[in-house]
Amino acid sequence: MTELKGRGPDPAASQGAAVPPGLTSDEGARREGGTSRAARRRAARLERRAAEIESVIPVELYGLRRGTVTLLTTLAFLFAIFTLVPIAWIVINSTKTQANIFETFGFWFARPFSFFHNFSLLFQDVDGYGTYIQWFANTALYAVIGGGGATVLSAFAGYGFSRYSFRGSKVLFYLTLAALLVPITALTLPLYLTYAKAHLINSIWGMILPSMISPVGIYLMKVYTDISVPRELIDAARIDGAGEARIFFRVALPLMVPGFMTVLLISVVAVWNNYFLPLLIFNVNTKYPLTVGLGLWSERAQNSGNAQLFPMVVIGGLVTIIPLIALFLLLQRYWRGGMLLGSIAN
Amino acid sequence: MSAVTATQGTGIGTGTGRRRRSAWIQRRDRRGIWFVVPFLVGFVLFMIVPLVYAVYTSLYTTKIIGGTVFSGASNYTQTLQSSQFWSGVVRVIIYAAIQIPVMLAIAFFFACVFDLGVAKFGRTFRTIFFIPFAVPAVVGAVMWSFLLEPQFGPMVHLANAFGFSGTNFFSPSLILPSIIVIVIWEWTGYNMVILYTALKSVPRDVVEAAILDDTPLWRIIVRIKLPLVRPAIVLLIFLNTIGALQLFTEPLILSYFETGSVSVNFTPTLYLYNTAIAADQTNLAAAGAVILGLVIVVISTASLLFRKRRGEFS
Repeated sequence: MTELKGRGPDPAASQGAAVPPGLTSDEGARREGGTSRAARRRAARLERRAAEIESVIPVELYGLRRGTVTLLTTLAFLFAIFTLVPIAWIVINSTKTQANIFETFGFWFARPFSFFHNFSLLFQDVDGYGTYIQWFANTALYAVIGGGGATVLSAFAGYGFSRYSFRGSKVLFYLTLAALLVPITALTLPLYLTYAKAHLINSIWGMILPSMISPVGIYLMKVYTDISVPRELIDAARIDGAGEARIFFRVALPLMVPGFMTVLLISVVAVWNNYFLPLLIFNVNTKYPLTVGLGLWSERAQNSGNAQLFPMVVIGGLVTIIPLIALFLLLQRYWRGGMLLGSIAN
Repeated sequence: MSAVTATQGTGIGTGTGRRRRSAWIQRRDRRGIWFVVPFLVGFVLFMIVPLVYAVYTSLYTTKIIGGTVFSGASNYTQTLQSSQFWSGVVRVIIYAAIQIPVMLAIAFFFACVFDLGVAKFGRTFRTIFFIPFAVPAVVGAVMWSFLLEPQFGPMVHLANAFGFSGTNFFSPSLILPSIIVIVIWEWTGYNMVILYTALKSVPRDVVEAAILDDTPLWRIIVRIKLPLVRPAIVLLIFLNTIGALQLFTEPLILSYFETGSVSVNFTPTLYLYNTAIAADQTNLAAAGAVILGLVIVVISTASLLFRKRRGEFS
């Protein structure tokens, strides 16, 4: 687990924090809180980088022909271009007028510069098909409550399955694993039918509550708890008289943070990107998330002669992906580390 | 279970003390169910109940005259005899059989390259490759629809420039390859990161010993690294198979951009969607959902078992 390496005591930071006379080292560290934390983080990053470099065998040893590295770098470069082409296209075309999107070269800018005009359209209800900013708020609400709830429930249940053996715990865990097999489609349509019967169509809870049930999240949290929360620690806390809830929040949860963050990332993305469930259960555009709203605009733009919606689809798509790409770049170490692998290890 | 509690008790007190302690632990262990209860409530309400209700609904038929009547297996026989349903199933199987091997080959290739460090800027490339995972399938499909669009899409101009005039990426013969390209764009990075992480855990000394024996690089990859990451590959095949058989978002969005390019039964999920929403035949759609669920469970489990078996023998 690469991220665990960086969490060890690191010499650079503790040496750097010089302790003024008359203060205990603890107080000194607290006084320097701001800088030393940054320094420690930088040191941890360097250490991780060093560990990574050390684990790579020098290229020369493989006895490769000259030019192989160049060739492979070129191939990676070509695939990177393939990956970035649609992103580049959407960035460039978010600055264009509707006519220019179709009439000018797709990979270069054109006058007039229409970015701010396009952007302002996201705050209006054009043609009565719905307001982008409302869909954005809906999506954020569904993703934060649904994804956050999924993470909390997964942490509870994963810890429960990992560190307790109660009657039926094994059976229930295998049942959870079996739920991984059930295809989302085969589950979503029944959910829609149930909502139709229970008059839950157009209820935001019909979107949020099922999003909180994440068998993958529970599996990941169980595996992560297995390797990161020692039983001895729990027993020690029990002997000290701590209750089970207190042990979970004070002892176990801090140790589960990296796993918690990974599950949070996966869950929020899953809700943010969900299309099929909201497409089925919402039929008023004030409840739509971004995915359904953008899908509707695309369809109307093409089939109902509302061509003025095209630039809005483009800039709407761009604004939809920016928060998630930013989130991933900020939280790199949680998907870079061994956590995704944890889903495979067993 | 008793073995577990015994281990927990070791090192504390004498024989009788240990027994008392393990009884105490067992009592505390039972409280663990309260950690699982919130999830269980949701699991029952939002998974078990809908599935049971779908099976129930699938056994009835709603008629304009006469209301809802019990009709036994008739919705099932109707779906099983529907060529629309099966043509979709066959199409997604063909799609999965092409898309998954191609994507995993690309993902494994780059995972090896970055793991070995035989290309420059590996870190940057890994980040770039992963970006599409953060892009919702709807937005990915919208972007690619604009790029491939028959009249104005820049990719069509590109194809024309290379001498393929009259290329139509939305034509019946090219629509499936176009979807394959879109899905490969979306998922290769994610698969690559998982394989890369798996490769990183291959012990370094094994590889070093092979180098000292003058083993060529490709052989190190095929003979040492590939077998060691086989569990990861098996799991990815399994997960990707489940995903591929449910193909829905990409063809639906493409059909918005070019009416008629994608039929209403292009994939089984589209068929179900159109049966339930457009045709409002919910009972029939419920039967279809049950059948599709079973088909997917059977195919994905079979792929898992088949691979495991081969893994044992080779």
